[in-house]
Amino acid sequence: MKTEISPRLKVFLYGLMCVLLIPFVFPTWWMVTSSVKPISDIFAFPPQLLPQSYDWTTYRKVFELQPFVHQYWNSAYIAAIVTFGTMIVSSMAGYAFARIKFPFANTVFMIVLLGLLIPSEVTIVPLFQMFLKAGMVNTHWPLILTPIFGAPSVFATFVMRQFFVTLPVELEEAARVDGLGRFKIFRKIALPLAKPALASVAIFTFLHSWNLYLEPIVFLSSADKFTLPQALTQYTDAYGGPMWNIQLAAATLTALPVLIVFIIAQKQFVEGLAHTGLKG
Amino acid sequence: MAEVTLSRVQKSYGALDIIHGADLGIHDGEFVVLVGPSGCGKSTLLRMIAGLETITGGTIRIGGRVVNDLDPKDRDIAMVFQNYALYPHMTVATNMGFSLEHRGTSKAEIAERVNWAADILGLTQLLDRYPRQLSGGQRQRVAMGRAIVRNPQVFLFDEPLSNLDAKLRVVMRGEIKSLHQRLKTTTIYVTHDQVEAMTMADKIVVLNAGKVEQIGAPLDLYDRPANQFVAGFIGSPSMNFLDGTITENGFAAPGILLPLPQMSLEVNGRKAVYGIRPEHFALDDSGVPAQILLVEPMGSETQVTMKLGETEVTGVFRERILLSSGAIIRVLPDRANIHLFAVDGGPRLN
Repeated sequence: MKTEISPRLKVFLYGLMCVLLIPFVFPTWWMVTSSVKPISDIFAFPPQLLPQSYDWTTYRKVFELQPFVHQYWNSAYIAAIVTFGTMIVSSMAGYAFARIKFPFANTVFMIVLLGLLIPSEVTIVPLFQMFLKAGMVNTHWPLILTPIFGAPSVFATFVMRQFFVTLPVELEEAARVDGLGRFKIFRKIALPLAKPALASVAIFTFLHSWNLYLEPIVFLSSADKFTLPQALTQYTDAYGGPMWNIQLAAATLTALPVLIVFIIAQKQFVEGLAHTGLKG
Repeated sequence: MAEVTLSRVQKSYGALDIIHGADLGIHDGEFVVLVGPSGCGKSTLLRMIAGLETITGGTIRIGGRVVNDLDPKDRDIAMVFQNYALYPHMTVATNMGFSLEHRGTSKAEIAERVNWAADILGLTQLLDRYPRQLSGGQRQRVAMGRAIVRNPQVFLFDEPLSNLDAKLRVVMRGEIKSLHQRLKTTTIYVTHDQVEAMTMADKIVVLNAGKVEQIGAPLDLYDRPANQFVAGFIGSPSMNFLDGTITENGFAAPGILLPLPQMSLEVNGRKAVYGIRPEHFALDDSGVPAQILLVEPMGSETQVTMKLGETEVTGVFRERILLSSGAIIRVLPDRANIHLFAVDGGPRLN
């Protein structure tokens, strides 16, 4: 049902939304503007909302002080593989939990969901030992395998399962009559219809992998293998103090792809979440 | 086209029996309607024929071949679902040609078959649209198109008109019937609407609580229902029933004595149920008195709710009755159309 809102209420609601926006937008604004301020201006009092003078050399220094392009590539290809892998694993697992009848399906699903309750800080030490034995420490394998088969994938499986549960069973029955087997039904009918849920899984997973911090600092030790969140901590002067403006320039560059992905895919993101019954 | 035969077909979920040994023979090219109230097992039976449900016992044959353990795709059937089940991400043409695509049919032949089906169903202009861009009736036609495009041995329809409004339902009813007359494919059609069953079927199968109550031509079921359930289910408004005793002088219902048809007197003194359809009452001065409770003029006929003795019944008369509630009229049941049934859902007695 459509309800009419009076103009006065509309103004008030928009005003309220603008106020609520401040805590979300201000840090980003601060990051972007500070990345072009001289370091002395960043902590000036009263704070400067707009830079008094612009220092664009910070962006050049980002690339000079670290193998930033290489680190960018590391983050990008790891996030891409993790996203793609998670989409495959979670869509298949989610479909199986939603549609295939097998003994103790619900119990197994509950056990899988329990994985979400274990913080990554708890599992990081055993994981380290495992990857050490496998000779994978200081490689990107732990950053690829852990999310695809770990908690992020469990969450993605949950999202996909919730979506597949809502698909009308008759569609699959019609496909069975039309001559399709189980896997083809999944690939030709269920998966194309799951695009909104897959999009939200992709964004979640990409963000998670892109922002991963604990795992890289545990598993990686050489600068050329670093990912972006880890690289950001390396912009320090000779005394170990952070070079704020360069660090914030690197942070701005790090946030950029995430922002672009979200702007492009926000419709699917919201639709996908709406299907799962989850709220952000 | 093919014959379909069901022999002692059963379905149980654990200890719960859903279908209790159904026997049914469907001739080549016949239009058979499975009808019954919600939960009677008619859709389950259809889905068992389709192969979407396993069967617990018995045998299903399509075209002489036992199909009990065959997948739906190997049964050479096509099904139209209640909610159409069109693939939302495919155009009308792709929806219709989808099954052929997966059976290795050449693209040229798929296009030819789809165009043929679209032409029959008036869908030619809609082939590039998506299901969401179609009206309910158009979706229904696409679902039928998807079924006929394959030229299967048997069509299965699972309550295909129940999502349409009353007017469109009548139109689509005619279209399905004329499609059958054109293609002559064996058709099994499930509905809970007895009007649909009466108007479309060559043969009706009445189901109740997982049992086949009666099989026959629509008018045979209407004229000679085998038991009280069938009598009450077929016909609208439904048949009137009065409990009482068969006597030499007539049928003694509470507060009234009703005339009986010619029959052997062996049943004299037996408790029974007296059935009479609303249109088989006539206004006649020699009839029994009935007190009017409600008069509903329909234009072509008048529907009257009245009290016969202590039982409330419905009568439908060609005459216009201008009396109001409380008035007494005299009505005469047509002796040739009186049905007597054993009590507690037993069989027909006359």
